[in-house]
Amino acid sequence: MTTTEGAADPIALIHRIAAQNRDAFSQFYDRYAPIVYALALRMLRAQSDAEDLLQEVFLQVWRQAAGYSVERGSPEAWLINIARSRAIDKLRAIRRRERSFVLTDDPAAAESSDNVETAAGASETRLIMNSALANLPEAQRRVLELAYFDGLSQTEIAARLAEPLGTVKTRMRSGIQRLRGMLGTQAA
Amino acid sequence: MATEHEHWLERGEIYALGALDGQELREFQAHLDTDCAICAAYVRETRETLNLLHRSLRRVTPRPELKSRITEQLDREKVVAIAAPQAKPAARRQRIAGAIAAGLIGIVLVGVFYRDRHREAMNAAIVNLLRDPATRDLRLYGAGPTPQAQGRFLWNDAGEGHVFVAHLPALPRGKSYAVWTIAAHSAPRYVGAIATDASGRGAAHIKSPPGAAPGETFAVSLENEGTTAAPAGPIVLISKPS
Repeated sequence: MTTTEGAADPIALIHRIAAQNRDAFSQFYDRYAPIVYALALRMLRAQSDAEDLLQEVFLQVWRQAAGYSVERGSPEAWLINIARSRAIDKLRAIRRRERSFVLTDDPAAAESSDNVETAAGASETRLIMNSALANLPEAQRRVLELAYFDGLSQTEIAARLAEPLGTVKTRMRSGIQRLRGMLGTQAA
Repeated sequence: MATEHEHWLERGEIYALGALDGQELREFQAHLDTDCAICAAYVRETRETLNLLHRSLRRVTPRPELKSRITEQLDREKVVAIAAPQAKPAARRQRIAGAIAAGLIGIVLVGVFYRDRHREAMNAAIVNLLRDPATRDLRLYGAGPTPQAQGRFLWNDAGEGHVFVAHLPALPRGKSYAVWTIAAHSAPRYVGAIATDASGRGAAHIKSPPGAAPGETFAVSLENEGTTAAPAGPIVLISKPS
């Protein structure tokens, strides 16, 4: 309902980007680049890959802004969806190339728990999200993070955790439903 | 209806997360291709929730050079588009012309694909609204500085609607047309913005946040971009004659 940080309405910005307005693109970039870049770093981990992804995502925004509609969700959800899809494609390409690719527990888990627990100085929305994640049972949070941030499919998660596929599905769905309940309509 | 769909909705949650795979993924995609509005809406809503997960991350400001790199890329794309038709030796020219033609066809096809998908989704949303017996079809009347403006507003009290406008003046720089719903004893509620074309026509699909009071009056006003708290500019369209 309200725009964050007093900035222009993001939907109006997208409409202006669709008309090839560079000023609107610049405002949109300034507003969303830090969250796309944070997600890219979290998912891809390498700075160079994250920077490439950031560039690809915003070029796609420039080229496909005319295709945006509220039917696709809020501007932030639309943008994050683009970023995640591209990041997952990259992660899966990496895994195909590197057959021995194994996610070590430590980096993801360490970052994950840091993100969940280090709330000091965070923004209100970050506090809300951290609180929501922290309130999920560990097993549910783990499968959601492996899917969302590491781009693993349900079958890959089951193999990675050595758990039955049905258990993984149940945890995912329970986690999603709890998140829905806790977050309600926090979308921008 | 929800019970019939329980099986699909279970898969929809994992699909929205991007983790559905194999035969289940193929089956669910085939189901979505049947234009199941229930599952499409459920997936969209679930994605809205899941796409908040990134907010658990600390924002990281990218190097300033990255923004320059992107804007330079935008400049290069413009230069390529302008430079492409320049004269070349015959054989090379033919190859280039062929490549450009193929590229243009590809661009047109991709554009048509996305435009058609967008149009189909929008049309489906409008049809769903029209099918809903709770949807009201309201006329919007020109007001204030724009008596010639006209509009229609399809709206149901679940908070979804579609607004069509015509004969609105071109937007001044930094301005936007904001859409408001006004419930009894409540302040106007911003529900979206409308982009208009050169002829003053435009449309927008509107979704009000859940829990909003049902609107009784609907208005479009000319606002400074980013105004969402309350209308401050002139009302240009309203659902009751002024």
